Amino acid sequence: MAVCLPNFLIMRLQNMLKFIFFDSILLLALCLTGCQRQAQSNSKQLTLAVNSGVEGDALKQAARDYETHTGVHINIAEFPYANLFEKELIDLNAHTGAYDLIMLDDPWFPRFGAGQFLTELTPFLQQKGLNGPDADFVETSLALGRYPYQTGPLYALPYVGNSQLFFYRKDLFAKYNLKEPSSWDDVLTAAKTIQEKETTDKTYGYVMRAAQGNAAVADFMPIFWAFGGEMFDSAGKPTVNTPQGIAALKFMLELGKYSPPGYASFNADEVGAHLLQGTAAMSINWPAWISSFSDPAKSKVTGRMAFTTLPGNQKPGQAEIGNWLIAIPRDSQNAQAAFDFLVWATSAEQMKLSAQRGNPPTRKSLFHDPELVAKYPSYPAQLKSLESSRPRPRTPQWNEIENAFGIFLSKANSGELSAEEAMNQANAEIEKIIQRGQ
Amino acid sequence: MPKSRRSFSAVSKRATLLPYLFVAPAILVLLGLSIYPLLYSVTISLQARTSNGIAWGLDNFVRLTTDRFFFTALWHTFVYAAAALVCEFLLGLGLALLLNRQLRLRGLFRATLLVPMMLPTVVVGVIWRLLLNPNFGAINGTLKGFGINTEALTWTASPRLALLSVIAVDVWQWTPFVFLVLLAGLQAIPQEPYEAALIDGSSPWQTFRYVTLPLLKPAILIALLLRTMDLLRVFDQIFILTEGGPGFATETISLYIYRTAFRFFDFGYAAAMSFVLLALTNVISIVYIRFLQHREVA
Repeated sequence: MAVCLPNFLIMRLQNMLKFIFFDSILLLALCLTGCQRQAQSNSKQLTLAVNSGVEGDALKQAARDYETHTGVHINIAEFPYANLFEKELIDLNAHTGAYDLIMLDDPWFPRFGAGQFLTELTPFLQQKGLNGPDADFVETSLALGRYPYQTGPLYALPYVGNSQLFFYRKDLFAKYNLKEPSSWDDVLTAAKTIQEKETTDKTYGYVMRAAQGNAAVADFMPIFWAFGGEMFDSAGKPTVNTPQGIAALKFMLELGKYSPPGYASFNADEVGAHLLQGTAAMSINWPAWISSFSDPAKSKVTGRMAFTTLPGNQKPGQAEIGNWLIAIPRDSQNAQAAFDFLVWATSAEQMKLSAQRGNPPTRKSLFHDPELVAKYPSYPAQLKSLESSRPRPRTPQWNEIENAFGIFLSKANSGELSAEEAMNQANAEIEKIIQRGQ
Repeated sequence: MPKSRRSFSAVSKRATLLPYLFVAPAILVLLGLSIYPLLYSVTISLQARTSNGIAWGLDNFVRLTTDRFFFTALWHTFVYAAAALVCEFLLGLGLALLLNRQLRLRGLFRATLLVPMMLPTVVVGVIWRLLLNPNFGAINGTLKGFGINTEALTWTASPRLALLSVIAVDVWQWTPFVFLVLLAGLQAIPQEPYEAALIDGSSPWQTFRYVTLPLLKPAILIALLLRTMDLLRVFDQIFILTEGGPGFATETISLYIYRTAFRFFDFGYAAAMSFVLLALTNVISIVYIRFLQHREVA
């Protein structure tokens, strides 16, 4: 049979379906718990909004443990990634106070910060006699929870410390005598070599995702930054169509020649499937995928993948950071209880459990923890990547900008536009978005 | 006498009030659930986001005229609707004519044909996303089995084939609906005109052109009207299949409205676009209905 569907892809799609069906039921459940909460507002109860996925699962498990420890009842509202943002923002915007704690993907944070929807955490820390969060948190992760970025007051603590990594097939690299890529030129050479020589089992040199929106932008940013591109100048004007930006996109298109056909519509699922099936040799990807490579049920390349920091070009390689944060909405009626849970869940002890459940931590001590390093040999590379990572531009309009930028990147990769045209049009569109204001 | 007259008028008053009383709950529900939200969305569409906060006025509608994403999405919507409508109608009519005859296993054919329509659109989207996957999907797998080079057949990933692919999926799913309506129409046509045509010695084509088609017209117009309204607001399959991509190749107006409202949180602009879509749908519907009434009178 020529048709083989990776189990993995099917599972993903099944999950997707499941969530679409259960979404409405969840919503109903949420309404009911909301009513119930009003009826007995004095008893200790918290409502937590989480994403459905490995990150949310860990926090759900932690919430169950917390319940048995303290007797505080925690209601959990679970939403698929695509819906979590809109549910949270609608609720916070309407000041209903339905949630006491929310999980946030870090690119969403500026919108919540700008809307003044979150509770500042410093006063609670001061009550405990602390000046701020402890120094064990990775600085780049902690900076995400401040608004304005890095310098402002603290509104959220980082829970899951994802940042991009470079994945490659060490067996193929050894076979063709290639060294671990430190620059994007190395990557291109390796992609060429592997695709030309590895012909018995057709293996693509590289696999990227260039579906419009988040996918294309996430895979492009590390190349863009390495080539010296910047999305905005110091005055906040978009500068994606500088010579550096155009050169970076040209390089992406060059690399696309060694990516499987149709990559202009790939999302994380397709990239994961190609790597797990052994049909592509390199990729930028997120740490959440690492554990699947050692599971023979999912992976045909067990023990043959290596993970390292991102390659550079004019500038040293920098990964995009993508952390999950936890925050307390301003309208929560149980801020103190929520804060106690937040501190407990992000403590080293609890975060270690979350790490064992598959989520990279945001604490330096855990990246060095011998037990965890034995389980996840890529931790040293992950810490290096996380500490040198960059956030996506911190603007409340990021969703809109990313959408527009992603459309033009995807158009360039599908051959509809040249690199120059795509970048010029993207720049004009981003400028329009900024002029419109938030 | 005055007494009886009074009671008579009271009865008549009650008789005139009673129907309104019965209709009142329905009117109230309608007011609460559709008229009020409609009016509310008018006020939302008049509030534009600017750098200095919210501004009242027609800014959102002015922005529409310079938004090329909006026009591209609108164009995609019309291409999608027109292409899918023509294919669904021709296929549906053909199938209905075929299965209106005495065929062996006719019941089985009719039942099988209805399956795609019974499936939730989201499920259809997921099934086709798997089938159309360029590397692991069954369609390219089968083509490869016949020795066809599928390198260029990336379906939903190719800017040229993406819109075609999503149209094909719509045709697959909704042809059965058109078929069902037309079959019902065909079965409602009495036998006599056909007998008369037979006696007059008309050819099969003449019978179809001058007997079947005119008598089927009401059913055709209902099928077309319902499909057009559905096609213009298509959302779920495309959302699952391509999410509007690659690039902007399959973004329809509903997807763009959704994105504007729930991803960018610009409800004013989304409401303004919705009104434009509503107006266009209305215009098209009125054209259809006029046509339908005109023919019935004639």
